[in-house]
Amino acid sequence: MNTSAAVLRIRDLCVQVAADGEEILKGVSLALQAGRIFALVGESGSGKSVTSMAAMRLLPDALAITGGAVHMGGQDLFALSEAGMQSVRGARVAMIFQNAMSALNPVQTVGRQVAETLRLHTRLRGAALRQRVVDLFAEVGIPDAAARYAFFPHQLSGGQQQRVMIAMALACEPEVLIADEPTTALDVTIQAQVLRLIRQLTRSRELAVLLITHDMGVVRHTADEVGVMYRGQIIERAPVDDFFRNPREAYSRRLIDALPDLSHFQSAAAEELLLQLQDVKVHFPIRRGVLQRTVDHTRAVDGVSLAIARGETYALVGESGSGKSTLGRAILRLETLAGGRILFKGKAIEGLGRRAMLPWRREIQVIFQNPHSSMNPRMSVGDIIAEGMISLGLDLTAQQRRERITALLQRVQLGAQFSQRYPHELSGGQLQRIAIARALAVDPQLIICDEPTSALDVSIRAEVLALLQELQREFGVSYLFITHDLSIVPGLAHHVGVMQAGRLVEQGSAEQVLTAPQHPYTQALLRSVPRVDGA
Amino acid sequence: MKIVLLWSDVLVFLLVLSLCLFFYKLRQDPQIRQRWSQVFASRLGMVTFTVIATYVAVALLDSMHFRRALDAPPGLAAQEVFYDNKVTSVLDIMLDGMGERFERTYSAPFALRSFEKQNMKDERGRDIRDFPALRHAGTHLAQADDKWPDVARKSARALLWGLLLSALWLAPQWLLLRGSPRPWRASWAVQAAVLCAAVWLVSISRHYHVLGTDLGGADVAYQSIKGVRTGVLLGTLATLIMLPIAVTLGVMAGYFKGWVDDLVQYLYTTLSSIPGILLIAASVLLFQVYIDLNPDFFSIGMEKADARFIALCFILGVTSWSTLCRLIRAETLKISQLGYVQAAHAFGVSHLRILGRHILPNVVHIILITFVLDFSALVLAEAVLSYIGVGIDPSMGSWGNMINGARSELSREPAVWWTLSGAFIFMFVLVLAANLFSDLVRDAFDPRTSTRRSPL
Amino acid sequence: MFAYIVRRLLYAIPILVGVNLLTFLLFFVVNSPDDMAVSQLGEKYVTPAAIQAWKEKNGYDKPLFVNAQAAGAATLTDTIFFTKSVRLFAFDFGRSESGRDITTDVSTRMWPSLAVALPTFAVGIWVNICVALMVVMFHATRLDRWAVFGFVALMSISYLFYIIGGQYLVAKSWKLVPISGFHGGAQAWKFLLLPVLVGVVAGIGSGARWYRTLFLEEANQDYVRTARAKGASEISILFGHILPNALIPILTGVVVLIPSLFMGSLLIESFFGIPGLGSYMLDAIRSQDFAIVRSMVFIGSILYIVGLILTDISYTWADPRIRLN
Repeated sequence: MNTSAAVLRIRDLCVQVAADGEEILKGVSLALQAGRIFALVGESGSGKSVTSMAAMRLLPDALAITGGAVHMGGQDLFALSEAGMQSVRGARVAMIFQNAMSALNPVQTVGRQVAETLRLHTRLRGAALRQRVVDLFAEVGIPDAAARYAFFPHQLSGGQQQRVMIAMALACEPEVLIADEPTTALDVTIQAQVLRLIRQLTRSRELAVLLITHDMGVVRHTADEVGVMYRGQIIERAPVDDFFRNPREAYSRRLIDALPDLSHFQSAAAEELLLQLQDVKVHFPIRRGVLQRTVDHTRAVDGVSLAIARGETYALVGESGSGKSTLGRAILRLETLAGGRILFKGKAIEGLGRRAMLPWRREIQVIFQNPHSSMNPRMSVGDIIAEGMISLGLDLTAQQRRERITALLQRVQLGAQFSQRYPHELSGGQLQRIAIARALAVDPQLIICDEPTSALDVSIRAEVLALLQELQREFGVSYLFITHDLSIVPGLAHHVGVMQAGRLVEQGSAEQVLTAPQHPYTQALLRSVPRVDGA
Repeated sequence: MKIVLLWSDVLVFLLVLSLCLFFYKLRQDPQIRQRWSQVFASRLGMVTFTVIATYVAVALLDSMHFRRALDAPPGLAAQEVFYDNKVTSVLDIMLDGMGERFERTYSAPFALRSFEKQNMKDERGRDIRDFPALRHAGTHLAQADDKWPDVARKSARALLWGLLLSALWLAPQWLLLRGSPRPWRASWAVQAAVLCAAVWLVSISRHYHVLGTDLGGADVAYQSIKGVRTGVLLGTLATLIMLPIAVTLGVMAGYFKGWVDDLVQYLYTTLSSIPGILLIAASVLLFQVYIDLNPDFFSIGMEKADARFIALCFILGVTSWSTLCRLIRAETLKISQLGYVQAAHAFGVSHLRILGRHILPNVVHIILITFVLDFSALVLAEAVLSYIGVGIDPSMGSWGNMINGARSELSREPAVWWTLSGAFIFMFVLVLAANLFSDLVRDAFDPRTSTRRSPL
Repeated sequence: MFAYIVRRLLYAIPILVGVNLLTFLLFFVVNSPDDMAVSQLGEKYVTPAAIQAWKEKNGYDKPLFVNAQAAGAATLTDTIFFTKSVRLFAFDFGRSESGRDITTDVSTRMWPSLAVALPTFAVGIWVNICVALMVVMFHATRLDRWAVFGFVALMSISYLFYIIGGQYLVAKSWKLVPISGFHGGAQAWKFLLLPVLVGVVAGIGSGARWYRTLFLEEANQDYVRTARAKGASEISILFGHILPNALIPILTGVVVLIPSLFMGSLLIESFFGIPGLGSYMLDAIRSQDFAIVRSMVFIGSILYIVGLILTDISYTWADPRIRLN
């Protein structure tokens, strides 16, 4: 397999923080070959992006390259002048980045931005230049390419923005493409399309691709060779099939294990109903005209009915903007309903006032997506956990409260000493455990988990999910688990509901929905989920 | 001796007390403590803070007022004590009578003779027109040529004393803080420089007018120092009056939204649409009318000036809350959407508690940044207001009044530059230190600056 | 867009009513016309008859809000509130306390104000942007740090010193231009040069420092990284990407000031003897002519509100992401 010569070779690359000499990269070596995709995987902070930026000499001032070499053909990139390097970037090595919306200049048309690359490295001008850009747009699958030339980035969808980025990268027919988490900010269905495009272009243009990602599913589907990065070093490197069949390092094993297994499902739990939603609607007004009259509504949630039994997990799956989080907030009474009923233990709670709602707030709790913004940075962990107990009037003395906090912290596998710490001192995984402890503090029956693991790294995600399941068995608590990530559903949920544009398009037992999806949207979602078994 | 407590004095001490308390409270929060230590980790932070602290110390010393007991006139019973009509401050004592050495009119720095000619008689009794000798400058000199050697001699001696005093003053600090990682040396250097300069100024001023005298013959150096209290007080008092209004309204608007928000937005848009200088001028003029119509209200002249000063602070405070209010409203809107406020709602935490525990502590950095930023702006504004004629009462020393009195004197031949220079130096050092310090505070507390959008 | 502007104009009405009410309260309720008469006449001449005469002469002898003696609509119109405050809405400013027609004064005096303020404003922005760009090019070097220190130092100097210093150096010592005065026609530039220069120099500190932060903020955006990855040089990134983006907050931040340029600058005009609205206001304040102050407050508020509307319009013009509705 390694017959063709490397197009780009990185050798013993070392990077340090300029100020204190902390090592970020400790001798990274890799080689990219034409027509093949090398995937660099690792969790946040492992140094994958730094590797690519250092190779292109685009590191921020705070970081300094302290050793190593990057060769392209016979040329040492580190020996080039800055002007020489500029003629390499974009022309021979192109890059695409994670969040296309912010990576594109917001006040320039996308056509001009692609044209800029061509202007910098070719002699194309005028109509020929424009035609070349339109051709590129067509090649990367942007519909109605000629008209899109004059669009601004915000007028395109996320997938189209990323296609523009790819067009920009391909403009000067580079030999190497560095793709830094190119699909992370995209919805799953779009993600699959963009990956397919990258793969197809790799073959058709004989590109040497460095694909940086944290997602093993992406690797499985797209890459030819894998390098696992951990704390500034590549700890394992192998062809992709060998890697998934037989990983050498325990850390690689963990990354692979985090992928979904569609053969084991949770069996349905008890029958006793805890929460019922009947035709729930949440509408946001659209105001127009001189008097700002409400002319229409955005139907964020448009008639959703579902039921959650005691001690079970209901996974609500859908892409961003499908209304799943709004539904969660509506159950918490953080949004006003436009219609429908919410029955908790058979009692209607949708019309209760602030005070009448208080007893129910003990029963329904919440864990949010972003662990950093869901903790008040000015409060200690102990105070954060105690807040609910105090405001919901659990009759506890200060001593009892302290004991309970200690017990809860230990239950979520943190020590009692954490109660004195502040949120900014803790990692995302630790914070999410504290969020769980905070919710558990008032003995709820239902916890609404709004994407609780999507901000976490893969290996930590698995731990947090395992903890949630353990707690469910122990306390018999139910979860409404809101997620965009179908891959975590199988081992977790008893029931699954799929939301699209405010409506529940399909629901049923997890096994039923995941193995025999009825609705085309569910089928599309399921198809785009990366799986280890190479399906 | 009878202690005089002006309203502004009371406010100053309350202010210093509450600021100390505020910062003590803030220190308990480890994150805020860390940010402060970032400010003080730089030499610039230490130096500017020491300079500001020096100004504040001078202002505090100048805020302890009393009326001196007069010696009983002969023939009257000793038990009855009369008090001087003039109010003295502790600072005046420390300056060793610097403010009591009046000349007739202008005189240049270190001059021995007046700036203007005047009719007088010579030794033989003839009428001549010449520059008269100053009453309080160089009277101990045998002849005018001795002046500069004398100044040098006296300076050297003063400097020695200054160094000695600095050593005594800094020794305990050195013993306490020598292991500290912070750049205390920079602060000590400034402290030593300030002490030496103070000793030098006081001792030289006994024999010369270091910065000359002004139109009324008053010592310019003394006036510049007296301006410190006015500047520092105005800068802090006005901000402190503005803070509660801005914070309350801003937080309420951002948190409750709906009609509360509409009302607050309406209020601040209305207020900020009025040209600030006109609003201030009109308010001050109206207050002046009130003072003029109620002359019996104030027993001594100084109280009248003081009342006008406090009124000015109030007016500046009440008319300037809209900017901060807007910032706090925007930040509160943002915080209200964050997970921890949502979680608090889910826990049924009361509005008051959410405001007090979740929102307020998280807008403190804006308040802090505004406080230091507005301070320098207000010190500069004072000069402009005094020029317009709606500033500090002319009987109360202030840099604005000094500039106002001397602004046309540069066109004289030769120019009278020293009054302006005195005010300029003292004002510039304070404002520069405050501006640099506020930059550091902002860097430490707010990584992203300037998020602006139209207010309506 | 159209509906938006109409709505904003409608919203301006309650604000102007608020401004009007506030000034009315300040001028007539907190201080009664009698108080004003006393302070205008001076203590020595205060007799009840003199006060009455002064009030009659200036039209302050009516009740504040409701005139019970008048008939019909006049119960509301023949009052101080109506004649002095409500009529402002019809741009009827009445007469100053010294008897001059305020509308005429304003319309003749705003042109000299504009002649100074407009060049100061335009040249000022241009100079600030240039200085800031220059500093940004040397970002994170010693030069950059000293430049920022210089900006802060410039900001720490009172405006008065800029004027006094400028007059002393340029006009008195170097005798390049007249110290003060104003003349229309071809000679005008001689008198305008120094005020404009002083205004521009005085603004460099805060202006250039602010623009520098805006530029640096943009320089940290992701699209700058993209441009680098394309192979663009630092200079072309600065001018091609950073500048157009940073111009959005700069433009929209200064647009609000444009209408207020008519009001002129109090300090510049009074020091340089320019017969504009700034010196008009200053004279009014010094002679305690409340009729003029009231009118100028009203005009200033209108101009500010127009500025706010222009700001929003300029947003849509400068930033393709923003649509008003």
